[in-house]
Amino acid sequence: MFQLAADNISLVFPLYGRPSHAESVIDKAKSGANPRLIHGPNGDLIGVKALTNVNFALNGGHRLGIVGANGSGKTTLLQVLAGIYTPDSGRLHIKGRRSNLINIGLGMRAEASGRRNIVLGGLAAGHSRADIIDRQQDIEAFSELGEFLSMPVSTYSSGMRMRLSFAIATAFDPEILILDEWLSAGDENFKRKAAKRMKYFVETAGILVLASHNASLLRKNCDLGLWLHEGEVADFGEIDNVLEAYVEHSLRK
Amino acid sequence: MSSRPIIPEVQTNGTTLFLKDMVDGFKMHEVWLSFAWDETLSRYHRSVLGVLWIILGYAVFVLGVSFFFGSFARMGVGPFTIYVALGYATFLFLIANVIDGCVVFSGSSSWIKSSTLPYSVYVYKSLFRALFPFAMQMTIAAAAIIYWQVPITMSILLVIPALILFVLNGVAIQYLVGLLAARFRDISHLVNTVSRILIFTTPILWVREERTGLTGLVADFNPLTHYIEIFRAPLMGAPTRPLSWCVVLGLTVVVWVLAALAATRMRQRLPFWV
Repeated sequence: MFQLAADNISLVFPLYGRPSHAESVIDKAKSGANPRLIHGPNGDLIGVKALTNVNFALNGGHRLGIVGANGSGKTTLLQVLAGIYTPDSGRLHIKGRRSNLINIGLGMRAEASGRRNIVLGGLAAGHSRADIIDRQQDIEAFSELGEFLSMPVSTYSSGMRMRLSFAIATAFDPEILILDEWLSAGDENFKRKAAKRMKYFVETAGILVLASHNASLLRKNCDLGLWLHEGEVADFGEIDNVLEAYVEHSLRK
Repeated sequence: MSSRPIIPEVQTNGTTLFLKDMVDGFKMHEVWLSFAWDETLSRYHRSVLGVLWIILGYAVFVLGVSFFFGSFARMGVGPFTIYVALGYATFLFLIANVIDGCVVFSGSSSWIKSSTLPYSVYVYKSLFRALFPFAMQMTIAAAAIIYWQVPITMSILLVIPALILFVLNGVAIQYLVGLLAARFRDISHLVNTVSRILIFTTPILWVREERTGLTGLVADFNPLTHYIEIFRAPLMGAPTRPLSWCVVLGLTVVVWVLAALAATRMRQRLPFWV
């Protein structure tokens, strides 16, 4: 049984010499102290509390949708779950092979062809060359890129990159799939195909984590919801209930 | 799909994680070999001669130097040409490890922020990418050695431990400099400044043994002198000073300890810096 659980995860996103001292002092005076911002002893901005005490537990077959305003920590949480960022405190409990699609187009070699990127992506995910050749046909067919596969990825549109990334990320039977806003670049036809593939994937007891602003997409693909508000879990439960609470909160603003 | 054992994310940091990163990355040799090869090819993409430019450019440089400076060297034009052909390529390789090391992580930021590859994969890739031109340039040195018929002795076997030490140093230096330069952006500027001077203070275009007084002495305080000599001397049929072997061996240990210390403290923060 696959498992993905966050146990009291907190993460401060460090900032290095980005905002000037004067600017951050003015901002602070204007808008009052933001409790998420961390100031150094001389008043400089040194970090942002990206995640604070995040808790949840998922088992095989669970499909979690993450909602929250811009800057609420959704992508950072996904990066922690994917193993890219190490949290400052708390623990992750993971059982299963993770595959992530957090930033479309990141982790591609732009100068290499689409076909070459399939091989490189597969190798980078730890698959054997034989395994990749096995899936190559399937990936190429799913991406529907046709002759573009022999052209460098730098010539692709963002939608085309997304197709290829999604095809690669889902081709090797991931057990835990972590996705961020990836559907925004896809056309209706591809969204349908992707939803079908995810459904199949979850039916084989995988775990899906998907962050999105699109409520109908989340309702269609997820059964659980997690609402992040300023880096903290505001609500966690049935997707419909969480979305309702989140929308109500957004409207009240 | 088989079921997998529970793998809790153990949040220990330490030298163990650094060594694990090194080993895990090394095992993914297909990945870093492919990356290095792709990058090398794309650098010469759409040029007619392609990677042959590395050999051609180096031949022009070596012949030019030997033509203009050969008459100053007491060892004669032939040996001096070999001396330059061996020394300059070695210098370029060694310094490339420091210069490329500065961007080994920051240049792969999109991968570091989107995949969970061991960080050492980027280091091995970068090292291999530097080894490739070195190997190509060595063909010019080999041609010069054959042309001027340098006597081959058993001491030529010493290039094997020398090359192994180069690779060991390259890995640790790139890891170390990569972490430092990702956090402190001044480092890459500093490295560029220093490497420009090192071209003149390292005995590659002049012969250390032919200098008396200060220049010869200064050369001995330059670690590059010793790194180059353990490789160049055996190939020129000359004895290597034990001093040079000691310096290189000692520095190898130092570099690895520093890399392990830096990795222990800094590795976890890397994705925030790149």
